[in-house]
Amino acid sequence: MFNIGDVYEQSFTITSETYGHFIQLSKDRNPLHTNSEFAIEKGFKGIVMHGNILNAFLSYFIGECLPTKNVIIHSQEIQFKNPVYLNDELNFKAEIDGYYESVKSIEFKYSFRNSDSKIVAKGKIQIGLLQ
Amino acid sequence: MERFEITQKINTIFVDVLDNEDIVITENTIANDVEEWDSLTHIQLVVAIEKYFKIRFTSKEIQSWNDVSEMITCIQEKGI
Repeated sequence: MFNIGDVYEQSFTITSETYGHFIQLSKDRNPLHTNSEFAIEKGFKGIVMHGNILNAFLSYFIGECLPTKNVIIHSQEIQFKNPVYLNDELNFKAEIDGYYESVKSIEFKYSFRNSDSKIVAKGKIQIGLLQ
Repeated sequence: MERFEITQKINTIFVDVLDNEDIVITENTIANDVEEWDSLTHIQLVVAIEKYFKIRFTSKEIQSWNDVSEMITCIQEKGI
């Protein structure tokens, strides 16, 4: 079912609905995320989307996009490389980097790229396969 | 590789994975001796050990370990 080198791709967009829901959930109304004048003054093109919305996309990927639902996230790390703006189309790519049969564990390395092919975030996720 | 040398390498891995510089692993160490050594970190420890020594365990082998000495024996049996 899983082999080292297997690649999964998925498109994600942070819509205004997703953005609004995330603010409701996190209560993070920092001006970088909610005040365009503030964000522009700090050198960005506009309000910057919360990086942790990408973590929610990772949750969806692991929970819904793999060939089995018998999965649990053990750990994940993420590095934010470039800002993501509202309605940016993101290309997500994950590759199996390690498979450890002994402990039923899989490691993915992943990246999110924007429409300019710039990496906006990347990292690793370790999951377990439930018996 | 000598057992004491494997123990030292394993100790370094435990310190790194469990993020506790005070950990001292001996051949007699069991999971209950190390506060951070739980079922989840056990998986991360096994993965880190497999990566470091470039070996693969089986689930049967892992389930047979009662202490670190049995882990070391298993590593040596892989030709390390």
